[in-house]
Order: sequence, then structure tokens, then C-alpha cells
Amino acid sequence: MIRFIAKRLGSGLVVLFVVSALTFFLLYISSGSIARNILGDQATAEQVAMKEHELGLDQPLPVRYFAWVGDALTGNLGASWFTSEPVANSLATRIPVTMTMVFAAMILIAICAALIGVAAAVKRGWVDRAVQVGAILGDSIPGFVIGVILVTILAIQLGIFPATSTISPDSGAEAWVYSMTLPVIALLLNGVTGGAQQIRSAVIKQLERDYVRTLRSRGIGEGEILFKHVLRSAAPAGLTVLSLQLIGMLGGVVIIEQIFALPGMGPLAVAATGQSDLPVVMGVVMYTVVVVIVVNLLVDILNGWLNPKVRVS
Amino acid sequence: MKLGPKAAAAALILSASLALTACGGGTPAGSGGGAAATALTLGTLRDVTSWDPAQAHVGHVLQPYQAVYDTLILREPDGKLSPMLATAWKYNTGNTKLTVDLRTDVTFSDGAKFDAEAAKANIDHFKKANGPQMAQLASVSDVSVVDADTIDINLSTPDPGLEYFLSQAAGLMGSPKALGTERIKTEPVGSGPYVMDKAATVKDSQTVFNARKDYWNKDLQKYQKLTFKILADLTARTNALVSGQVDATLLDPKTGKQAEGAKMKLAANEVDWQGLLLLDRDGAKNPALANVKVRQAINHAFDRKTILEQVMLGQGTPTSQPFGKGSGAWTQELENYYSYDPAKAKQLLKEAGFETGVTLEIPLVPNFETQISVVKQQLADVGIELKVGAALTNTFTADVAAQKFTTMYFSLFQGQPTVAIDQIVSTKALYNPFKSASPELDAKIAAVRNGGADAGKLAQEVNKYVVEQAWFAPLFRVNQMYYTNAKVNVTPQIEQAVPSIYNYSPAK
Repeated sequence: MIRFIAKRLGSGLVVLFVVSALTFFLLYISSGSIARNILGDQATAEQVAMKEHELGLDQPLPVRYFAWVGDALTGNLGASWFTSEPVANSLATRIPVTMTMVFAAMILIAICAALIGVAAAVKRGWVDRAVQVGAILGDSIPGFVIGVILVTILAIQLGIFPATSTISPDSGAEAWVYSMTLPVIALLLNGVTGGAQQIRSAVIKQLERDYVRTLRSRGIGEGEILFKHVLRSAAPAGLTVLSLQLIGMLGGVVIIEQIFALPGMGPLAVAATGQSDLPVVMGVVMYTVVVVIVVNLLVDILNGWLNPKVRVS
Repeated sequence: MKLGPKAAAAALILSASLALTACGGGTPAGSGGGAAATALTLGTLRDVTSWDPAQAHVGHVLQPYQAVYDTLILREPDGKLSPMLATAWKYNTGNTKLTVDLRTDVTFSDGAKFDAEAAKANIDHFKKANGPQMAQLASVSDVSVVDADTIDINLSTPDPGLEYFLSQAAGLMGSPKALGTERIKTEPVGSGPYVMDKAATVKDSQTVFNARKDYWNKDLQKYQKLTFKILADLTARTNALVSGQVDATLLDPKTGKQAEGAKMKLAANEVDWQGLLLLDRDGAKNPALANVKVRQAINHAFDRKTILEQVMLGQGTPTSQPFGKGSGAWTQELENYYSYDPAKAKQLLKEAGFETGVTLEIPLVPNFETQISVVKQQLADVGIELKVGAALTNTFTADVAAQKFTTMYFSLFQGQPTVAIDQIVSTKALYNPFKSASPELDAKIAAVRNGGADAGKLAQEVNKYVVEQAWFAPLFRVNQMYYTNAKVNVTPQIEQAVPSIYNYSPAK
């Protein structure tokens, strides 16, 4: 297992390096007029040249990239070209907001999707049909539309929740809970419906397997078959779906954070990408890649723990 | 989660369009949810990039700086310039030296004293800090201290805009002890009505200010607490305003309807103009544009009033001139210079020898898709084909400068005469990338630059020239839709989408 983890971590580092190089080079192409963008449309050519020198844009690309890598390895991610704010600072204040939201949504999705999916697979009938219809509805309504509807009804009409985030240094845990509720609901609805659908299929597939028939013929109770055998075998499929949802959510959360004005990674990513603010974009990309690698690793470890077959292979 | 990539793409497009329309799209919002009347919460479209006063910008991007920095000269809501840190100012006879008398009773929030040395330090700093508005002091050669409360600002060439600039970014005065330090980038130190509450401030989320004790001018300090809540998203701004989280914010015609439904008050103000920039007037890349009759035909092709009604819900005024009402260059005579007259347009094309058709190429501009499709249709009606190319990206300023576009649809700020001239008319102007010029026009521009107090009136000649020569095809001036709740009274500020900070007061 340790060898397995080490191997996955090693390949993760390679991915991190490749993605950083690709992102850097792609941004380089669009960062040609960055100095002019920073200075605005009234800047003179001399001003632009001065700014380019200040930002090191007059250096060759490989020099700039390896300088960035060198700094990054020592923990220095640089500072925003537009605001001079250290990237590490930006990430430190924003990652907690986004991660709180994403993990709250994921935990709720995992619980709800598992309960609903298993219920649909075992009971079939109307429960099953409802889950199927729900999956189609959930897939067809984007999270941000749900978000806008929730705000209109629960924040503006009824005034139960704030319309936009009230999270600030002088606000307590209560503000976090109130500010996060609507965004988390907006994020999790189609995760639940989609996840339940996948878990349902996985459980049904297992229930139809020969070993279940054998277990039944030996007189083992349905409850034991379901919880001890079927769910274990169905777990990898469910975990994979959930991990994919979590990774997808890193994209979905961008719009949700904009709508709710949450000071998370979304607005930072959007602003930095729009401006080609290379140091910030690199920071955001590194964060995303690290999250993806860690999530995949955790899923693999969990799968191995739940299902011995995976460990052997 | 199939929506991830789509949502991200939508967000990127949104951000690019926000960046592109920054001139017109500033948004302050205020969130005061239940706070006392002495608290004001304003939403803004974005956080300031640096609190160094030399990095301040124009219009709505100037507002947050006014909370903490005083300017040498105060610009009243109607554009009149009044004393602030400067008590009086006067040009010499050649308009090459501005002598400025300063207040003697002002200190900065770090205890430093405001005097002639401090004013000089700020102007010197502004000139070398390479900020976005550095051009404001391009004509200033140096500053000399006459005595403790007097400076001479020496100019290499006369600049009728200088007094105005001293009410803007170039006039913001920071503590001489803090200028040039790293700290002032995140924590402003000025002599203004408010002081930043650093502990409650979070970058890109909210900036909090408290009233400064013993501020020298209580008339400009109307609140105990001032919060800027950063709300980049238009939907978020609308929701924050109607749910009472903010006291005031900038919306657009469509979201404005929702705000009006919630009994918010509108303070409309024309700040930008929209229309076509016919850039390649010498026909370097599109020979048809070299013919003034073709450019005039384009102007006659548009039913400006109907486009305004349909696209902007009537929020604005149709116009044929690019100069704004506050510049002094605006004239009634030019307002409807080009009537909607397709027959005349076709006639002009025929006279120009282009009756078989003209093709214009423009880039797609995010947020202006509707306008561009209407323009395309109306041009087609007179026999001009509009080819819409790829969308503008964040390299657009460099692309404009590199003559990549012969024609553009755009929204531009309407500034003071010399500002507008150096934005769209002179050979220095970004939006004159093909460097169109003529001796006649050069003489008119020179007259404005040397015109001192008459600059606005003299700029009418420049305005007239570019309208008659059809350098542009303006469609309308656009209303900026600034909304407040019942707790706040606000006076719109000329040439600003967002009022100056002094223009807010608690509703009685």
C-alpha cells in the first residue's frame, strides 16, 4: 500500500510539473499586452516598456518559467501583477471558503445520494422512477439557476438567508453557516440526483450477480447481503462518481461564488484569468491540480480499504 | 457534474466582458442591512489594485481613494472646481506655471503634516510611479516649493486639463512618510475623511473605513462607518441591493427594472457613448473608409432612437457627436447631425463610387452582441456588409494599437476636452491607431491645448471637425443606472458612473 501511495504521489508530481509548464506557456501567449492592460488605455509606449521591465516580461520565456519554478519550490508563488498581493496570501484567505463549501456539499451529496440510490435499487417501483426523473431534472438545471431561484425566494422574498455573503473577519461562525447554506444547496442538488442515479445502477448490478443468489440460497438475510456484500462491491463505482463530482464542482463553484459574492477561489480565478494575471493563475492552477491529485489518491486508498480486490490488482 | 467546464467558460467570458467594459461598468453597492443611518455600505465592481494614491484611476475606480485621500482641488457634482487642500490656484500669463496655495491645518492619519513639501512629494511620486493615470501629469516638468504653504507647478507645455487632474488621481495626497513604501499598497495613509479598518478589511471582498476623528472638513464626512463591498457579479449586486445588504449600487437597464420594483431610487447619469469607431480613415487597410462620403453614409444608416429603445430600454440619448455634455465641447447643433436616412446613405455611397457595396470588419465585443447585430442589420439595409470577427480578448488594447481593427463597436468614456482628444482624436490617442490627422485639425487641437479656461469652447471646433468628417458613427450616450435605497440621498457626479464619496448623505 505504501508503495502504491508513493507511486501515485510520484505521478502526481509529474502531472503538477507538466500542467504548470503548459499553463505558463499558454498564458505567455496571451500576456503580450499585459503591461498595457495594467496601465490602461492612456499609457505611453515608454510607460509600457517600463512596466514590462518591472515585471520581468522582457526576459526570455524559459528564464521566466524556471525562475517561477525555483521560487515555487521554496514556497514563494510570487505576487499578483495587478494588485501586488502575494499569491500565497490570496490562496490562504480563499481556499478555506471554497473548500468549506465544496466539502460540505460533498458530504451531504455522499449521504443523500447513497441513501436515495440504495433505496431506489432495493425498493424499485415509484421510488426508482422518482430517482430517474430527478436525475434528468438535476442534470438539466444548472447549479447557478438553482442558486438564483433560491436567492429570489429565500433571501429576497422571505429574508431568511443573506442574498450575498456576509463572511468577514468580524463575523462569527453563524455568518459562515448562513452565507454558505444557499450556495451549498445550489451546488449539491444536481450532485445528489446524479450520484443517486449512479449508485442505484451499481447496486442493482450487484444485486443481480450470482454471488447474491448464492448468499440468498444459503439463507443469509437481505440486510446482511446488502450492507456486508453488495454495498462493498458497489462502493468503487459510487466513490468514483463522487470524486468526479468533487473535481467537477471546482468548476461549478466558480459561478456560484460569483452569484453569492463569496470571497472564494472562484472570483479570484475569474479575475486573474480574464486579466492574464499569470502569477495568480499559476497559483490557482496549482491549487486545483493538487486538489485533484489528493482526491484521486484518497479515493484509491478508500477503494482499497473497502474492497480487497482493488488492493490485489 | 457536467456543468463544471461550461460554468467555468461562462465565467471566463463574463470576466473578459467585465474587463472590457470597465470604463462604463463600475459598480458600487452598499450593504447596510439594518445598520444605523451613520453607516454607508457601497458595493463596487472590483477592489482597488493598490492603495498607493499614484495607482488611482478615473471615475468609479477613483471613489474608494476619496474615502481616505483628500485631493488638492475638489470637483463638485456639476464639475465646478472648488478649494480642498488647495485654497487658491492661479496660472501665470503663459499658462506654464500654476501657483497653488495650500491649507495649513491638515495632518495625515499617521501624524505627518500636510504642507508644500508633502504636496511636492506626492506630485513627484505620481510622476515616477508609473500608475494608470500617469499621463495626467505628463505636461508637468517639476514642482517647486515657494514657502511652507505654496507650491509652483511648472509645465513644459500648457495643459488646460491640469486643474481638473488635480481633483482626480493626480491630486490625491498621501502621507509623505508612507509614499513609496510597501505598506501603503495595502493600507492607505491619507488626510481624508475616513481611515481604513485593516482588521475588518478583506482583499476582494470588503473594505471597511471608520470616520477619522478631527477631520478638517466635517461637511465632507457624513458617515461614521463606510464599507465597500466588492460585488463583481451584476446579479449579486441586484440581489444585495434589493435585499438591503447594500445601500447603493450600479445596475443596468434590465436589472434596474427589478430594483425599481423593490422601490429603489435611480440616479441616472450619462457617462459613456457607444457607437462605431471608423478608425482606418486613410484607407490603409479598408480603402472605402478613406472616403468621407462612405463614413457619412454609415452615420445616416442608423435609426438611433429605435436602437436605444430596443436595446437599452431607452436609457440614454441618441447623438451624432463623441464629445460629452460636461466637456464644454458638446453643441446642440451636432446632436442630431446625422439623421436616420437610408436613402441619403445609399446616395452618398453612390456618389463615392461604392454603390456596389462596402464591407466593414469589426471584432465582436462581449456584452455588445445585441448592439452589433442591430448595427449589422441596419448597415445591410443601405448596402454595407458588416463582417463580425472574433471576440476581443484581453490583448485588445495592444491589438487596437497594432492597427488590427479598421472599425470597432465600442463604449467609451466622455471626458474633459483634452482627455477626450487624447483618447480618440489626437495622434497620441489609443483610439486613433492609424494616426489620422490634418493640418486643420492639428491647429484646432493646438488651440484647445493653449486655450486655458476657454479650452472647452475651443474644443467645439474639434468636435465639429470629427463629426463633419465622420470619424465615428456615435449612436447614443448611455445612462449609468445608479440605484440607492430609501436610507441614502445621492447626487450624481458629472462624468462618473459612480458618484464621488462626498455626494452621499443620510436621508432625513
